[in-house]
Amino acid sequence: MKTILIGAAVAATVVTGATAQEVTLGRFFGACEDAGMDTKASVGEACIIQSIINAADAEIEGVSINTLPTDWGNYYDQIKAAYAGGTPPDVHVMHRHRVPEFAGLGALAEISGDLESVGIDPSDWTASARDAVTYEGGIYGVPMDLHANLWHVNMDIMAEAGLVDDGAPVLPSSPEELLEHAQMVKDATGHNYLAADFAQFPIGVRLVLALMWQQDANIFSEDGTATIDNGAARNAVTAITQLFDAGLADPQLNYADSQQSFLNGEAAVLVNGTWVVDFYSAEAAKEEVGLDNYYVADFPTLFEQGATWADTHMWAIPSPLKSDEDKYMAALKVLAFINDHNVDWARTGHMAVRTSVLESDEYNNLPHRDEYTGTARIARDTPPSERYGAIQDVLNRELQAIWLTGKPVGDALADAEIEVQDLLDR
Amino acid sequence: MANTDPDAGAARAGRKSYLSQSQAAFLLLLPFLAVYALFLVYPFFRGFWISLHDWNLLAVAFNPDAKEFVGLRNYERVMWGRNIEWAAFASPLLQGVGLLGMVAAAVLRYRGRISRATAVALATGSALLFLLPGFHPGEDGRWYDRRFWPTVGNTVLFVGLTVPGVTLTALILAAAMNRETRAMSVLRTLFFLSQVLSVTVVTLIWQIMFSPRQGLIANITEAFGGTPINWLTDEQFAMTAIVIATIWWSLGIAMILFLAGLQDISKDLYEAAALDNATGARAFWHITLPNLKRTITLVVILQIILHFQVFGQSHLMTQGGPNDTTQVLVRYIYQTGFRDSELGRASAMAVFLFVIMGGFSVLQFLVGREKE
Repeated sequence: MKTILIGAAVAATVVTGATAQEVTLGRFFGACEDAGMDTKASVGEACIIQSIINAADAEIEGVSINTLPTDWGNYYDQIKAAYAGGTPPDVHVMHRHRVPEFAGLGALAEISGDLESVGIDPSDWTASARDAVTYEGGIYGVPMDLHANLWHVNMDIMAEAGLVDDGAPVLPSSPEELLEHAQMVKDATGHNYLAADFAQFPIGVRLVLALMWQQDANIFSEDGTATIDNGAARNAVTAITQLFDAGLADPQLNYADSQQSFLNGEAAVLVNGTWVVDFYSAEAAKEEVGLDNYYVADFPTLFEQGATWADTHMWAIPSPLKSDEDKYMAALKVLAFINDHNVDWARTGHMAVRTSVLESDEYNNLPHRDEYTGTARIARDTPPSERYGAIQDVLNRELQAIWLTGKPVGDALADAEIEVQDLLDR
Repeated sequence: MANTDPDAGAARAGRKSYLSQSQAAFLLLLPFLAVYALFLVYPFFRGFWISLHDWNLLAVAFNPDAKEFVGLRNYERVMWGRNIEWAAFASPLLQGVGLLGMVAAAVLRYRGRISRATAVALATGSALLFLLPGFHPGEDGRWYDRRFWPTVGNTVLFVGLTVPGVTLTALILAAAMNRETRAMSVLRTLFFLSQVLSVTVVTLIWQIMFSPRQGLIANITEAFGGTPINWLTDEQFAMTAIVIATIWWSLGIAMILFLAGLQDISKDLYEAAALDNATGARAFWHITLPNLKRTITLVVILQIILHFQVFGQSHLMTQGGPNDTTQVLVRYIYQTGFRDSELGRASAMAVFLFVIMGGFSVLQFLVGREKE
């Protein structure tokens, strides 16, 4: 049996050696039919990344790329199952926050020695991008962006409420001012001030985290102690719940509904990530969409120091691929192609990771780019942990319990602290 | 064809070598048994084996020695806690119902109103209901896993709402459509159609239906001047929402079973009943229901076993939320196994689920054998 398998493998190598090396590619971002190959024309994360992949498939000699299903929700579960089954995709996208979990087990290929051979210059990456892909001194991926939470603003509503100064929105600088502005918007327009997904994905968690970091607090320390049941967390939560209590924001909207409410022109501010800037610009330009005058702002500082939730998308290669030299090189070429098209990916609204791109006119002339230049400086995330996903889930559950089911803030924070500590101790 | 004739085979062999009936049966069952052993029995024991280990999904994939035998610790970590105590009335409502159930089983059996199997089933169920909710953390105590038992409770609630819902609706629809007209056969097909959809399609349809912004239900509510309900993110309605979607989805099979049961009831019975002035609802109550008893039992038990395994509706429509109110057992197993990579713990929960469903399968077996 073994000889038959080896024979078949040899025969397959001989046959396919003459043709293209097939690279399987795993990604999320959703599906895009007919993305085409024009990396300058596509709109939205799904279509921009697929147009880059299609272009790579066509332009890299001797490499053909097979994109696997692109579902968001169960991406990491699928990737893990694929690793466990010994069939991970040859290249796959992942978040910075997953590096400890994957690289820590030896699942990812260390690629620092091979980057130059395919034309990737790691010294061109920003310091934060290099940090993102670095684990215990080695480089385990090619960074693609820095993405963060922003305030997406409807300038018409803000103007009606008298919250525009010199063409820019006037944003709050304290929780009290937040409530005041929200009331001004309600009085002037009848609309909600703030919309966000508080009911489904952890956008509300990222909002609360940012407000904790702004007070120089965090949900757990590097040494693994949960610190959630405290004054800083209470301040952060009540800064938001005061809006719900006063009827100035709706906690029951999920991702799609909160986005729809903003695009319909029913909310002054939507808290969401960098990934939708080009999509909202395109929507705002449409006649039939309620949002007309769209502006992007850095996450405002409500406490002592600036901070907003951020993460990095990066591309990695499974460590077992290193034993197949040809395929490994083909996979690296795909990463190099994506690295070369960093400015195209930045069209989504994400921040680029290459200094040469950040300094280019093409990047700086992208729509709304000059409106959120402070975001890269205030980008933050929780300390690295192998249990990132489970910890986010605990916070999401307990915060939702506060604003969707009326659980007392103190009880929810105490429960969250116990559960996060359980996860850190496991 | 000739080869299937045992006489021909024996003649060719030149001596009498009939297979005994049980040998033949075994031979014919062999392909099934092989597949069954490979894909069900082996994975089950393997799962049980994994549940006795501290077993990280990814770590073991890269290093088979990364697992550690921990005996029953995963079961303890999932189901038990620190300073757990038992009291007769820790949760009075559930335990009270359990106590009443046990008394009822004894009384009804004594008077000969129910069969032995039913009595045993009722008594066992009631005893568990009396026993299990009595456990609670004492002073300074806590459950090691604070989500497990609430998740089991949600799953039981889901089954408790869905099974009667499906059974009643399917029974009423079957009784109404048990006629040989063209309109009725079209309707039967229509009602069955939902059953062939996959869970992704069903949940997508119902997410749109329930959407407070563009959903059909919200539009109807608004037309009558009400404020639309955020079905999927409201603690009061989230479970109801996934139950409604599930009932709509799983009506078909139950309805077909009931139609088959209805067609087995002799027309003579209805004619005789009509002579005694029992038609319509009275005929349904006195003729149809008693004759459908076994079909109803079958449908109920099949549905219980099926719906304990609910996953897609909760995972896709509510992500277990809000605040875990729709978190169900299989979704928790899935999260523990794949998101948290804790295969040992996940397998321990899966074994627990197996025990529950095994219990209902035994019940079905007992009830099925009755009166034969």
